[in-house]
Amino acid sequence: MDTVKTRHVAVVAKKEFRGLYSEKTILLAVLLQVFIALFSSFLMVGLTAMYDPASLSGYSHFRYTIAYTGNESPLLGYLENSPDLRVRRMDLSTAVELLKERRISAVVYSPGTLPDAQDPVKITLYTLANDLQGAVVDVRLKNIFLQYEQDLRTVRTSRLNITPVPVQIPASAGSGDFFGFVYGLLVPLLIFLPGILSSALVIDLITEEFQHGTLETLISTPVTFAEMVWGKVLTCTILVPLQAGAWILLLTANRITIDNPVLILVHVTLGSLLLILIGTMCALYYRERTAAQFVFSTALVIILLLVLALPFNPLNLVTRLAVGTAGVEQWIVLGMVWVAVLILGYILQKYAGQIGGMRAEK
Amino acid sequence: MSAYRDIATIARWEVKKSFSVMSRNVLPVAIILFVLLILVTGFAAESGLHIQDGMYRMGVDDPKVAALFAPDTRFTVFQANDITLTGNQDAYDLVIIQGAVHANPTEKGLSAQNALERDYTQYKNGVYTGESDLFAAYPLWIDTQSVESELNFSATQNGQYVAAAPGTGTPVPQGIVQNVATPSPTLDVTQDELRQELAVSSQENSQVSRYTDVISPGQSVMGSFVTPDQLSPPLPFDSIILVFVFIFPLYFTSQFFMMSIMNERTGRQGEALLSLPVKTSSIIIGKMLPYFLGMLGICAVITFYIKASPLILLPLIPIIIFFLANALIIGMLSRSFKELSFISIFFSTVATSYLFFPSIFANVHVISLVSPLTLIVLTIQGTTWTISDYFYATTLFFLTAIVLFYIAAKNFNEERLFSEKKFLPRVREFLSSILPEQHPFAALFLLAIFSIPFVFMGQMMGLVVFFNLPMPYSLILLLIIAALIEEMAKAIGIYTLFVRDPSFFSWKNLVLACAATAIGFLVGEKLLLLATLSQISLSIFGSILFLSLGVLWLPLLLHFACVLIVASSLKALGKKGLWPGLIAATVLHCCYNLYFVLGWIR
Repeated sequence: MDTVKTRHVAVVAKKEFRGLYSEKTILLAVLLQVFIALFSSFLMVGLTAMYDPASLSGYSHFRYTIAYTGNESPLLGYLENSPDLRVRRMDLSTAVELLKERRISAVVYSPGTLPDAQDPVKITLYTLANDLQGAVVDVRLKNIFLQYEQDLRTVRTSRLNITPVPVQIPASAGSGDFFGFVYGLLVPLLIFLPGILSSALVIDLITEEFQHGTLETLISTPVTFAEMVWGKVLTCTILVPLQAGAWILLLTANRITIDNPVLILVHVTLGSLLLILIGTMCALYYRERTAAQFVFSTALVIILLLVLALPFNPLNLVTRLAVGTAGVEQWIVLGMVWVAVLILGYILQKYAGQIGGMRAEK
Repeated sequence: MSAYRDIATIARWEVKKSFSVMSRNVLPVAIILFVLLILVTGFAAESGLHIQDGMYRMGVDDPKVAALFAPDTRFTVFQANDITLTGNQDAYDLVIIQGAVHANPTEKGLSAQNALERDYTQYKNGVYTGESDLFAAYPLWIDTQSVESELNFSATQNGQYVAAAPGTGTPVPQGIVQNVATPSPTLDVTQDELRQELAVSSQENSQVSRYTDVISPGQSVMGSFVTPDQLSPPLPFDSIILVFVFIFPLYFTSQFFMMSIMNERTGRQGEALLSLPVKTSSIIIGKMLPYFLGMLGICAVITFYIKASPLILLPLIPIIIFFLANALIIGMLSRSFKELSFISIFFSTVATSYLFFPSIFANVHVISLVSPLTLIVLTIQGTTWTISDYFYATTLFFLTAIVLFYIAAKNFNEERLFSEKKFLPRVREFLSSILPEQHPFAALFLLAIFSIPFVFMGQMMGLVVFFNLPMPYSLILLLIIAALIEEMAKAIGIYTLFVRDPSFFSWKNLVLACAATAIGFLVGEKLLLLATLSQISLSIFGSILFLSLGVLWLPLLLHFACVLIVASSLKALGKKGLWPGLIAATVLHCCYNLYFVLGWIR
């Protein structure tokens, strides 16, 4: 097996960086990541707003008009006491027409079932289909209905057999979902995105040499085939912590503090190196972009799905590290990824050496 | 007739070639991967996605309470006596002492409490479902009925949600009141059936089932009955799943087409194809046809699989053509594989969000109809749409695709395909070849007309992105972006001519060129407005985008002045003058819009 000269690898890597720099289209990839971040956090902010109307100030002091129809019931009192709602009593047909015209936000119909009746109290709620405003009103009505349900349950409590283990939860003050989204999804996603891009990039770099026939010029230089491959792997690997680090800085600038940034970078670089090595193998095997990218992207979906289904996966570790709850497990996982990288790296070195040898004989 | 034969021949070649490329060792691997994918999906569905594991630390004094929350992997549960817990409260995000929850007053603590609250509700529901008297445990049932209503755009003039009028008196309906039957006071379902449903629904994750239900609605005996806890806000995000189901396969397949075009260029493989005595358009259509049919086939299979109406295919056709047109241009433009990857990923994300974003507002807002995806959402819901809706949603897709195909056909020759130039000069060259030297002004006129669909697409993208920002910002940003996009579109022809031959621009020619561009732009704008966008142009957003409906000479003067600024800047400073000129023109354009639309500067 040939030895790999670091100097030669560095020369190849430098050449690739120059190529990336002169094309400048890598900027599109960076722009894309920013776009995804903006877009997903926009969606999430929209979602949070819907689940928790109080988080959007514009909604918090608005009183929605709703119609109460049907018979007298304690529910009317609950609704009228709500500071968010303005209740109007009317007949059902008129109320539904008003709802269609969007003059009111919801219609509640209540039959006069007694609280301690044998039958359940069945009320009918008319709202607008798939509507944002309807969602906001639903959240408010839900809280009132939950309270009404609790009181009805208390009235009928003698008919119940089991009591749940009591846990008193204080009323929550504001939205907590944003935290879960940012640290539990956005951060690991953004930090691993450069790795995924890099592993696709390495396929392009290698298949290009095969398909453009530029490998022949390589033979006239002292750089071996394996060194050329490692140079490309190195280029793609260096790009990962650069981009992921930029993400961490950007997030921090947005007051999303990331704990253990260095450890996160170590994890993401090593994990991405594994993906890059797999991409390299695909590229060396197929030597043609369409096939290599197709097989790799399918394999990537499988790998990601499998990894995500395992506890203590690297993405989860990034989450844990970012919120500061990672324990010793991370070192075990890091060690396992490292071993996998070494094994794949060894196979790659053998394989690249074999290909290089065959080409030299020709 | 011979054109059809040519196309058929080339299509056959294309199929044969792509199979010969793909079959070498790919097919067996693809089958293995497919089997693996099914296995892994099953495994992931079984074990769940472990991305948020161990985010929160929880301290509990009672083992019975600890057991309640142990199954939630987001929590790491520590058990200790209450004295230790009280002393080390800071080490946990959340402690439960004698049944009372104390959360750290941090965002993390609040988030942990939210998660805990949902877990506890789920646990309680589990207990209540086991009660023998179900109507004592669940005394309140809600029958949810949804009512269809579509806003017209003029009602949401400023792009914000319409709230019910806050009048003091009881509102009186304007339309005819239709009789609504009084709902029956009882549930028509037995306790046992309800119990089963409750048990099932507490098992599954309603967030996920919501999406899967869009594709294959589950049969539920409960029908529209829910307990108050199950009353979840109707998230209008059904289209997310449609993007995954329909758009991703299309994107994937268009990649093969892109690559096939790129392969013709690498190592000049396409020379044989180009030397054929066949029209260029036949070559392009022939190469594209298999992919078009393949994508249509995939969509048909999906449609059949989810048992949806075949009408879904109609709005998908313009999407497919649009994807293919872009794949063709990207495949012809990129210099290297990595450039191809970057540009295509970028394009697909932007296109996907353009498709996906408006369709979130399906049923809410007419704006949603700018995306063909909305028509798909409507079809799946069983809502009908009209032919004019179809034109409204798809015209831009058809038009941009046709323009791109035209540019591609004009440039599908050896000189362009095998050139080694950089990306932006190549774009300029591509445009240059659709601007004939003999008739520069006519060409500029036509180019300006053809740029209109792209301008509208770009501006729509802006509208879509800024739609939900707080009001003054969305308007200001839209104003600037709309003006900039328009100015860039108008400048591109002149810039192309300028780089090709700076000496052409004597002052007389410069004025004539600007006039040709301005008139072409105005004509194009009017044509497209008449065709499609009258609905949007009624709103205040529309009045910024497509201001020039009223008087004709004012917008013409504006277009002329703006192009003239850019052109003069080019003449004075050379190629470097492009950006200063563009910025100056944008500022002028914005001022004009501010003055006429909003009357701010008066």
